[in-house]
Amino acid sequence: MSAPPSDPSHEHEAALIGRIQLGERELFYDLIRPYEKRVFVIAFTILRNEADAEDAAQEAFLKALKHLGQFRSEARFSTWLIQVAINEARQRQRKNHLEIMRPIEDQENEDGTYTPRDFADWREIPSEALERKEIREKLVAAFGSLAQKYREVFVLRDVQHLSIEDAAQALGISAGAVKTRLLRARLMLRDLLAPGLEGISPSHSQIPKGIKPWS
Amino acid sequence: MVVKCERVLSQISDYFDDHLDPALKRAMEDHFTQCRHCQAVLDGMGNVADLYGDEKMFTLPAGFHSRLRRRLADQVEGKRVSGLRLLVSFAATGALAALVLFATVGDRFVPRPRAQMSQPARRLPQHLVAVVDGGKTFHVLGCPYMHGKYRMVTPDEAIREGYTPCSRCMSEALRSAGSVELDFEGLETASSATAAK
Repeated sequence: MSAPPSDPSHEHEAALIGRIQLGERELFYDLIRPYEKRVFVIAFTILRNEADAEDAAQEAFLKALKHLGQFRSEARFSTWLIQVAINEARQRQRKNHLEIMRPIEDQENEDGTYTPRDFADWREIPSEALERKEIREKLVAAFGSLAQKYREVFVLRDVQHLSIEDAAQALGISAGAVKTRLLRARLMLRDLLAPGLEGISPSHSQIPKGIKPWS
Repeated sequence: MVVKCERVLSQISDYFDDHLDPALKRAMEDHFTQCRHCQAVLDGMGNVADLYGDEKMFTLPAGFHSRLRRRLADQVEGKRVSGLRLLVSFAATGALAALVLFATVGDRFVPRPRAQMSQPARRLPQHLVAVVDGGKTFHVLGCPYMHGKYRMVTPDEAIREGYTPCSRCMSEALRSAGSVELDFEGLETASSATAAK
């Protein structure tokens, strides 16, 4: 999957970065505008707390400005920025001693296969369902129950649509590890949600095959 | 190629991302048409991606953008300014605005220094200065070379009125205190001598 089409072009960003480094620092606002949400979401993914995530995101932007000179133009700016945000959030997490509360799954060997627990049909959920509070709460709770390494990969791939390679670079792991964690994250979330969300769809008709985005 | 459930489930994420070679992809497609369980897992995976990938799922807290701008302002727009420095910069901006106003209503406003043989100033003190109505120079309050009834004005006002800095007290003050460098056009042309020789 490629980056969302709304992303500014590499050339446009390279030009902006050049001008910022030459002193037009107010252009930094334009440079980061498309990525404010992404930086917040990855910080939230790690810290699981809005206030901490906002603080970490702000700090990440400050650091990005301070270290903009270290950014290499052959890389994608958004990936570099997300990397800065991940480092900032992880650092804050260590400071908060949250690692002692890590779920047990973190210790799991990720090479082991994950077998789905439930094979129930799950009818398609219309995105309007997200406007229903109880559904959003279920989704947030399921996501929050995953171990951090799965949350990180899942958000970068399925929420922020980074490529496997960019996700690997941002997280400092191999592409293979991204794929393995992603498989588990997707299967675990499906297992967590399928029983609870089954049947909430207003439509009980059979969804025709072939209309799904992945087909 | 025929694939079993175990293989399908281990590759289902790559299938979903369309990262498989064509032969395996075809074999998995065949499997899905026959295996309701694996098809259910694939459908569920699609629902998970749809729901979490939706714009509405993760949202920025209200006011995030403006709080971020405030946090970044010091770094982006320059160093934190002290109250006094801010005051002087406001005064300087005011002087500049006055210049623009004068320029639009009549001849270009360039104050004629009261003292001849003066050099353009490039720095200004950060505090108010004392001027005497009949005098030619502006002073640090208490300068022994100042005589008569004085009034306190901002350095910019003094310059606009044609006063030039007192070479005795003002050069000392500019060396010691953190004076303000004039770095914009306009005020420079209106500024006065550093010292009456």
